[in-house]
Amino acid sequence: MKHTFYPRLDEQVRRHRLSNGLEVCVVKKPGFARKCAYFVTDFGSVHTSFTLDGKTVTTPAGVAHYLEHKMFDMPDGRDITEEFAALGANVNAFTTYDMTAYYFSCTERFQESLELLLEFVSTPYFTEESVDKERPIIAQEILMYDDSPESRLFEEMNRMLYRHHPLREPISGTVESIEEITPELLYECYRAFYRPGNMMLCVAGDVDENEVLAVAERMLPRESGAPVQVHLGPEEEMAPVENLRRFFMDVAMPGFQLGIKCPAGRTGEDFAHWELVAELACEALMGESSGLYLRLYEEGLIDSAFGWGVETITGSAMVVVGGDSYQAEQVRDAILEEAARLARTGISREEFTRMKRSFLGRRVKDLDSFESTCYRLCAYHFEGFDYLRFPEQFDSVRVEELQEFLRDYILADRCAMAIVEPRQGKEEE
Amino acid sequence: MITTTQLAPGVVLTHCPDRRFKKCALSIQLLRPMCYEEAALNALLPSVLLRGSRLHPDLRTITWRLDELYGASVHTMVRRVGNVQTVGLYLSLMEDRFALEPEGVLAPAVEFLGELLFDPLTENGVFDGAVVDSEKKNLISAIESELNDKRAYTAARMIRQMCQGDPYAVPRLGRVEDVAAITPEALYAHYRRILRESRAEITYVGAGSPERVAELLLPFAGALGGGELYAPDQYPLKPVAQPGEFSETMDVNQAKLTMGFTTEVDQRHPDYAAMQVFNDLFGAGMTSKLFVNVREKLGLCYYAGSAYYGSKGMLTVSSGIDECNYEKTRDEILRQLRLCAEGQITEGELSASKQSIVSALRSIPDSPGSVEGYYAADRILGVSLMLEDYISAVETVTAEAVARCAGTLKLHTVYFLKGEGK
Repeated sequence: MKHTFYPRLDEQVRRHRLSNGLEVCVVKKPGFARKCAYFVTDFGSVHTSFTLDGKTVTTPAGVAHYLEHKMFDMPDGRDITEEFAALGANVNAFTTYDMTAYYFSCTERFQESLELLLEFVSTPYFTEESVDKERPIIAQEILMYDDSPESRLFEEMNRMLYRHHPLREPISGTVESIEEITPELLYECYRAFYRPGNMMLCVAGDVDENEVLAVAERMLPRESGAPVQVHLGPEEEMAPVENLRRFFMDVAMPGFQLGIKCPAGRTGEDFAHWELVAELACEALMGESSGLYLRLYEEGLIDSAFGWGVETITGSAMVVVGGDSYQAEQVRDAILEEAARLARTGISREEFTRMKRSFLGRRVKDLDSFESTCYRLCAYHFEGFDYLRFPEQFDSVRVEELQEFLRDYILADRCAMAIVEPRQGKEEE
Repeated sequence: MITTTQLAPGVVLTHCPDRRFKKCALSIQLLRPMCYEEAALNALLPSVLLRGSRLHPDLRTITWRLDELYGASVHTMVRRVGNVQTVGLYLSLMEDRFALEPEGVLAPAVEFLGELLFDPLTENGVFDGAVVDSEKKNLISAIESELNDKRAYTAARMIRQMCQGDPYAVPRLGRVEDVAAITPEALYAHYRRILRESRAEITYVGAGSPERVAELLLPFAGALGGGELYAPDQYPLKPVAQPGEFSETMDVNQAKLTMGFTTEVDQRHPDYAAMQVFNDLFGAGMTSKLFVNVREKLGLCYYAGSAYYGSKGMLTVSSGIDECNYEKTRDEILRQLRLCAEGQITEGELSASKQSIVSALRSIPDSPGSVEGYYAADRILGVSLMLEDYISAVETVTAEAVARCAGTLKLHTVYFLKGEGK
């Protein structure tokens, strides 16, 4: 196994690629009792169109999430959750726009739990009956998201920003789209994306890496499987489809979600560098210690629910800003104006240094969480970057790059904003 | 090894050395008696302290300082530990060895914490009126939001009824009317008084040596009065309220049935570990008797679980039910308890519960926050139960001991929250 020591983070990592193409990564945590393992596939809700063995398949929205639910089914009615509980481990899973993760944590009997994890994720078992049985359960979950103003806002924003990109569809799909999901379709997606070459196993804890390798070699298929080609639709223009949309729900206060579309397509080192520049630039622009944040907060245009992020989902990149406000358009305009002003006048070196220290410290502290470390190692691996090299990334960022980012990307004609308003107010009008 | 050092009379540092983490934790808590007169003042104070010091007079300058300290964070602490309400601040920091400069983070961060605690922003000799008002609003909305979570609300409501006359009846964050009545003058006077009069518990988890941490904290020892006076006694609940059932109606779709039991087995009792195992097996664990029988087999409820309050010798059972299942659910819960007391406990149930508790206990040393939580509470309760001893006590619990614990539980209060009807 390849040993890597990260002196600036005091982390030891062992990596190896099995002959079947699976990337195995063990973060050594000597002296810790807890252990956790993430088994992740580079397959999320946006992977709805692909070519495998010369055949192109287009799936209904929500298939990755549906597959995640059905992965827990085993032949002869075994209950996977109960088997983990009997070993003293907790198992869970989640699906995002661009990956599906299965994971557990435990203190005792790690090897048995790891075997169980790899066993159930490599045992697809879907029947007409079990797939039908799941439909109302997932439909309920979708209806629950539909009741949440935050997820409705995010989904509306995506549909305004993107013309073709499958981000237009919610992660779990819609009540209508899941009607079309069949066992055959799940098997097809499984074959395309759950092959070892498309996956990563990441473990954190005081474990023997050779044991992890041995279990992986024993439990998983020998063959890598044919590579899959993913289609994300035609290249996106930078202009959103629509700039502003309002809808009404039973909410106490109006809320908004603003998306600013950025060019995508970077990988590896470039990807990580661009993302860091974007995050630092946004922190300077509207972070909690920025002048803009303080002013908007004091003027009552935003409250403590205000937040922002940089989203880089396969084939897309955007800055997202959300919160509660009676004056969402004013908030957007203030952000655009301040970005232009900072791009002109610059960000002081002192402020830049302070922000970098804060970011660096928070990322270092986060490494105490095994879950978030495993998650990040997997997510960045699929983008072709070793997450633990972030201190070197910080060294390479220059303050001018932040200004350039604000100048080139935070632009009015790249914005799409969804606003939710209380239903009550509409009736009064 | 975990050590305790008296920095001044009534000011104690508990030092938990650990070099495995990226971050360290430092908490400082003043111990107050949990009582109606003080609860709201104590709950409000730390939030006001975090709004500004003389040198860093607003949120922005405080955030700047925390940014400079490698994204350090400071949170308010208002905890209930048995009969005590604690007031304090919790500091979470990146470890010194990752800092770019030799002086590190710990020393300047401890100094900053001292500034927030002992040198607050004042106006005419008291706290700033606007700051106090805005934090009062936040606190009131935190108290009122309890009502939105009906599950938490019914548990708290039942405890208030059962614990009448005991400090445990006092709500952790005080009452809305008491918060509303606080003036900047009253809060400032309270602040000065509790600094002078309270026992202080400081807990550190990290790589710094005990000597170095104690030295950095010396200015704290000087600023604190270190009174032993107000370190309240810890004692189990001796109910004064009459046992019985009571109910309330509210606009809810799902009715809630909550039951309160007393037991002589509290945190200082030799059967404490056995009671923890009983609680897991009976109602708190993933495959508990209440979950398997009341929920899964009989389908009487949406959820049913138990909670054990070791500091007070209390156990509660909460469930969400259809109104018409009130008697059936109550009787089934009591029947399951009786079966436990009669010793109907399988080897599988016993070992699953022990395994789940041991696993949770073994995970405690794996995060600075949970180490702090465990040992700070241990000091405040005066229990002195080292984690390793606790784990071996759980490992040796027998089915007989679990049955014995079940037999000590006496039903005291039943609270039923039902819908307003159609």
